[in-house]
Amino acid sequence: MPALSVTGLKKNYGSFTVLEGVNLQVKKGSIHGLVGLNGSGKTTTIECILGLQSFNSGNITALGQSPKQLHRTKGKLVAIFDSPSLHPNLTVRQCLQHALLLCDEPTRSAQEVEDLLGVSRFRNFKIKNLSLGNKRRASIAQALLGDPEFVVLDEPFNGLDAEGVDDVLELISVLNRDYGTTFLLSSHQLPYLEQICSHIAILHQGKITHSDTISNLLGSTHTKLQIKTPNSEAASKLLEDIPGVELHGIDSEGYLNISVADSDSIAINKTLVESQIPVAELILKRASLATLFREITSEGD
Amino acid sequence: MNGLLVAIKSELFVALRTFASKLIVAAPALVAAAQLMLVKLTEAGQQARDTLLGESGFEQSVANNAYGFFVDGLITGLTMLGLLLVAQSAYSFSYDSDIGSIRHILIRRVSRGSVLTAKLIHLHLLALLSVLLLLITSYAMSGMLWEYGAIVEDGFELISEQEIHEEIWLGLRLALVPLPAAIAFGLLISVSSQSATQAVTAALGITLAIDIFKGLLGDMSNYLYASFQPSLIDQSYLQSVSRIVRGYSDILIDDSVLQLNMWVPFPALALFFAASLWIVQRRKI
Repeated sequence: MPALSVTGLKKNYGSFTVLEGVNLQVKKGSIHGLVGLNGSGKTTTIECILGLQSFNSGNITALGQSPKQLHRTKGKLVAIFDSPSLHPNLTVRQCLQHALLLCDEPTRSAQEVEDLLGVSRFRNFKIKNLSLGNKRRASIAQALLGDPEFVVLDEPFNGLDAEGVDDVLELISVLNRDYGTTFLLSSHQLPYLEQICSHIAILHQGKITHSDTISNLLGSTHTKLQIKTPNSEAASKLLEDIPGVELHGIDSEGYLNISVADSDSIAINKTLVESQIPVAELILKRASLATLFREITSEGD
Repeated sequence: MNGLLVAIKSELFVALRTFASKLIVAAPALVAAAQLMLVKLTEAGQQARDTLLGESGFEQSVANNAYGFFVDGLITGLTMLGLLLVAQSAYSFSYDSDIGSIRHILIRRVSRGSVLTAKLIHLHLLALLSVLLLLITSYAMSGMLWEYGAIVEDGFELISEQEIHEEIWLGLRLALVPLPAAIAFGLLISVSSQSATQAVTAALGITLAIDIFKGLLGDMSNYLYASFQPSLIDQSYLQSVSRIVRGYSDILIDDSVLQLNMWVPFPALALFFAASLWIVQRRKI
């Protein structure tokens, strides 16, 4: 049974359709990233999953419970939101003690998660007196008290400095590896998602257009090569006859831009050299999540 | 552990560490105490002036009976408590929704209905503590500043202490009965509003508007729970008790109004709470 199953999720705001049948499966033990343009419906999808707002049609189950019955998971599913969602007049320690009340069997003490998230120094500070980054750390800390099986994070990197981002990435990685915790992350920070996620779902125009492992998604895109040679014309003629190679012309700096389906840059280099075409530079531009995302989101425009 | 119990513990945890709850518990008693002190000071000034002018106080033995001041203290405290409870109940759910803290509890442990029920129970506990503190403070202050006793005129006991106690108890009961409905009304506004500011403004605005317009409604106002609350334009039975325990005998008590006072707030409470539950199940959080 997957940690999360969303089928045919539809949501309208009046006459405006935000989600047009979202289908998403999150496997247990995976780190699943949810990406999309602003207004694509990521937060709406997450709020529907968490039972925080109603939806027009579709079916959602998270850890075997419907959105309105998530409280029956007894803290096995937790969420961390874009805003810290903590009582501003409580101290960090009090917020953690408050969160402990919600745990049936707390597996970590407040002290442990404070140390884990680096908020020990601020434990007696009221939430309202913390920086945004530290509020977020406190928010994550309180979510981790009850040893959750499934953590949903909406824009977890907002407001964090580089060190904070590294800490969160490390934490997600450790929890996933050592405890098998499943994560669903919604974020605009594609490089971070690429670094941490095992799976990515792309939400575009109200639907999940792509959902697969990172390696499968990136493997399906063309790798770009930039070749500098004194004989660009001959190189172009030679390469255009090779199956799977797509020419993109010569740019202002004299680079011949091509894309290849299977990213075999060694074979391209060998072909050119064997045809007496000298290669001064060959730059491999690997496919990234950002590139893929741009390609997909520009397709419908 | 039961979800409702978790929700109540969560409410109490926050309440013990925030200012608003302490204000609700302490403010009515403090204001009543301040009022009694001011009345005593004014009275002392008046007595000094009368002594200097050689005048005797008007029906001093009757007017100075501590029971009258005790009831005045209760009226002031309960008026304030009514407004504070409406404001706090309007604030409670909407504020948690504003800051997002309610999301954690809903996702992790507690259903929406249980959260709302816990808030209702928590607000009742605050009201109970506040009323107890108000009773103790008003009774003690009145006893310190004046003397408790039967109403005696020309050596004849008009009203015994037993009868005074009974009247005060009846007046207090009738004044307290509308408070749960006031709390439920605040919650209804809270779950219906977009923000805490909007909720508090609307709840207090409507409460004060009812207070102002209840006089225009005539007998129809007897079907409004708010008509029986001690308020700025007070028509509660406790107001009459204040006069009774001072020895005024011109109080006309309509038994049907007392019955309405006793029973109208309960369906109002049920209606408001049922509507709140219906809305909270459907709204975005």
